[in-house]
Amino acid sequence: MQGVNLKLDEIRKAVIEMDDVKTAQLVNTALKQGLAPQDILNNCLIPGMKEVGELFTRKEYYVPEVLLASEAFYAGFNIVSPLIKSQSTEKKTKVIIGVVKGDIHDIGKNIVKVLIEASGYDIMDLGKDVSTERFIKAVTIEKPAVLAMSSLMTTTLVHMEEVIKELIKKKMRRNIKVIVGGAPVNEEFANRIGADGYAEDAMQAVKLIKKITIG
Amino acid sequence: MDRITPVINKDSHFAIFPIVCVDHCAHIANVKFSDVAIDGEKIAQVLTHGYNCYQYDMVLLFLDAYIEAQALGCPVRFTPYSTLLGPRSIQGFDRTNEIIKAAQILMEKIKVPLFVSIKGPFTLASFLTGMQDFLKMLLKDPTHAKAVIEQALDFQTKYLERLLEVGANIFIGDPVASATVISPVVFRDFAYEPLKILLSMIRKKGALSGIHICGDTAPLIPMLDTLGTDILSIEDITIKSTTLKMGGVSTSTILRGSPADIRTEMERALQEPRLILSTSCDVPVETNPDNIKAMIGWAHEYTDN
Repeated sequence: MQGVNLKLDEIRKAVIEMDDVKTAQLVNTALKQGLAPQDILNNCLIPGMKEVGELFTRKEYYVPEVLLASEAFYAGFNIVSPLIKSQSTEKKTKVIIGVVKGDIHDIGKNIVKVLIEASGYDIMDLGKDVSTERFIKAVTIEKPAVLAMSSLMTTTLVHMEEVIKELIKKKMRRNIKVIVGGAPVNEEFANRIGADGYAEDAMQAVKLIKKITIG
Repeated sequence: MDRITPVINKDSHFAIFPIVCVDHCAHIANVKFSDVAIDGEKIAQVLTHGYNCYQYDMVLLFLDAYIEAQALGCPVRFTPYSTLLGPRSIQGFDRTNEIIKAAQILMEKIKVPLFVSIKGPFTLASFLTGMQDFLKMLLKDPTHAKAVIEQALDFQTKYLERLLEVGANIFIGDPVASATVISPVVFRDFAYEPLKILLSMIRKKGALSGIHICGDTAPLIPMLDTLGTDILSIEDITIKSTTLKMGGVSTSTILRGSPADIRTEMERALQEPRLILSTSCDVPVETNPDNIKAMIGWAHEYTDN
């Protein structure tokens, strides 16, 4: 039993140490040893990525470290995820995420995405340069609990408000929580455009989603 | 009249310049940005229009962030505003001649200091390789990352020489070198030296210089203070620095706040002993001109009293 625990902790450490090759190797070994894919995800990969998020919040890790750790997380996640999907019947809270129209800066969004996914949410990533129409269409079809939008440029900030206004116009606003983030965004701006919340970094985004989707 | 130099020389409390760029000036002049983006005369025209409209204390020739990246082969889209479409992959499209032309026209027309914006080599390198790949490269293949920065620096030193010949002052924007993105150690090892080289060239020519870095700059200030730049444009001006700071009004306040909100932030900012009273980043295109006028009007009122 101690040997199994050691392997689990090694996987978690490999994610924190940003080693994608080692993470994949350890996950494969753990599966061969009979460990359940759900346990590998819940007890190694997710805690590893959460710790990376904490390190980022504490400014011990920066964007380059988080990007490499995300690669390590996905190296393991992509192995266990198909195995879990075929077994799972649990319905997860859905989150749609995207960078608004005219903005192709998606690193921040990608970091938020991986931490949301690692926290057990069902995430749909619309990518970057997403038009208001695409956001609305995705919300109409997917009916997510949360819509997360980001913008890194002052030129594209206005599109966040545009999406919210369109949700109101289409009478869809009451059924969804909208959160925003990105370098030029702040709490005040989020309030002014009628968003439900603002997150300064990726870990805060996860905490915010948890808070606003409870009940 | 030059109100900027007295502030730099500690002879005056403050000067005012919300970071109004070409995109907003084109917007208020009712000119399509895509027409302006490739034409030096039009760049000068819309910036002159913006200056006449607002009467701030300096003019910043900031067309978009991708002039140099595009010249080096990155694809860029101009509609509705400039967007970088990817890393270096095509033949370069060089707009630096248009910037030089615009700077020459503006030097004749404008009676306040003209600053031309260029990119810091670190940020330019991130555009050339694609930002995500570049950031990973810093840790995985630092030698390669340094080689790309060296290429960016080589381009920038030549471009800078031409701008200094025109007599322009220079603002270096290095947003990717922010401590929101990279650690102070990475800043020291990759971004610091190229900035120092460019600033030394500017000083030798007797021109004024500024650096703009968005996001968190607090851990970088001790290093930024040793660069010898005249002005430091940062988001949080309450951070202690020996360099003259520029900022005070948040981008979201200028975009969505009321004139009263703007005034509150300006009053707080003017607690600083010396300041270029400004916005924390560039003024968003669709900002209501009344907000910018309110900001400048109140600054003038404050000076008169």
